[in-house]
Amino acid sequence: MDEAVAWLVRLQGETVTTDDWLAFDAWLTAAPEHGEAYDAIAAEDEALKALATLEPGAVVTPLRRPASRRAVLWTGGAALAAAFVAGAVLLPNLTRDPAGTVYSTGVGERRTVALEDGSRIDLAPGSRMTVRFTRGERHVDLGDAQAFFDVAKDSSRPFVIAAGDTRVRVVGTRFDVRRRDGQVAVGVERGLVEVSTQGAKTYRLPPGRGLTHVEGAKSAKLADLVPGEAAAWRDGRLIYRDRPLTEVAGDLNRLFGKPVHIVGGKAADMRLSGVLIVDSQDAMVSRLAKLLPLEVATVDDAVELRAR
Amino acid sequence: MLALYEEKRVNLVRLFTARLRSRAEAEDLVQELYFKVAAVEGDTAGSGGGSALLHRMAENLMLDRLRSRQRGQARDEHWRRLQGGEATIDGDQAADAPSAESVVEGRQRLAAMLKTLETLPPSVARAFRLHKLEGLSHAETAAAMGVSRSAVEKYVSAALKAVFRGAA
Repeated sequence: MDEAVAWLVRLQGETVTTDDWLAFDAWLTAAPEHGEAYDAIAAEDEALKALATLEPGAVVTPLRRPASRRAVLWTGGAALAAAFVAGAVLLPNLTRDPAGTVYSTGVGERRTVALEDGSRIDLAPGSRMTVRFTRGERHVDLGDAQAFFDVAKDSSRPFVIAAGDTRVRVVGTRFDVRRRDGQVAVGVERGLVEVSTQGAKTYRLPPGRGLTHVEGAKSAKLADLVPGEAAAWRDGRLIYRDRPLTEVAGDLNRLFGKPVHIVGGKAADMRLSGVLIVDSQDAMVSRLAKLLPLEVATVDDAVELRAR
Repeated sequence: MLALYEEKRVNLVRLFTARLRSRAEAEDLVQELYFKVAAVEGDTAGSGGGSALLHRMAENLMLDRLRSRQRGQARDEHWRRLQGGEATIDGDQAADAPSAESVVEGRQRLAAMLKTLETLPPSVARAFRLHKLEGLSHAETAAAMGVSRSAVEKYVSAALKAVFRGAA
């Protein structure tokens, strides 16, 4: 028990290194009783957490409660996040060439890219983009992708995103751009975003506004967003407003390895308005089948959706 | 790598149970890790240090989650303010509130624990209070008490042993 307690406490420190993990794993592997003792201790500790939140002021003698605690934790979190972001830039599947740096994500993979100017881009699963910085412009070319941009302010060097025939131009702000299946959608969380599409006019979008445009078309559609909608996918929520089921299936196929197929024209014509929480594929599909009249079948390692 | 994941899954859950102080959250995190591992399966086949890589991926995932939770809290707060400052209790929040019996039982356990703490050396009890009850980190506890981090670990371990023995 003493060893198990020592491990638990050590693992609850701020830094747990890879060496700690390897040593912990070795200790657990050495004897099954180690794991059993540890599990019991961890369960007790979790129960303790519930006790501590019970009524802090009433039972605990009011020790000096540092007002700055939140700030300390936040700073710590930010530093850790920064470390994580820096790590992300060094990850392998990126290629450097004079035409820019290519970043991509696979099925189910998400990634935060920290750029040299302090801007950050969160890439959704199954996305690809090229980043190229010159003296006069910060340029991102979106392939088939969805990305949330937190652009550092630099009025001397505008940030321009090319998404097919659509150009999004900003100075410093937070917004989401999605380019999938021939459609571009922009949602603004903060700041002012300028969107121009070939053949259509230029729109200036304030926070809370969104725009959708079919590539090649001469028009764009504007809509109001609910707070947080532009960044919802980053918090694990997919929001649909009258979107075709094919688009929902596309999103699922970028999240999970097991393919989802739509069978029959009736199902393919269905449209969804609603929110899907991202958790397991099975749970998401079964909730989808409650939102729409769909029947779910698993065939040969694929999920088939057809009209009920 | 997926084979290694299967082999290390249980121990990873144990590690993150300590980190997150919740077995359910740890299970959830390690479940999500599966998809990450499956996604890089092709790229890293045959590369060494698989166990270390697995751990780093899991840590990154945890940081990601902590950040999105902070954003979520900020959003909820914003939403509540929009609602005129009154906390709106929806189904989920109501379900989180403990039942009356469990509150009573919890108070009894808490009282027993505080009694155990009184029998311990003052620095051991103080470290335990600051870290486990006040929620300070090891480093913050060390700073508040003017001792080293390893001393904090020793005090907290000693207190936990005493408290768990008292509970058994």
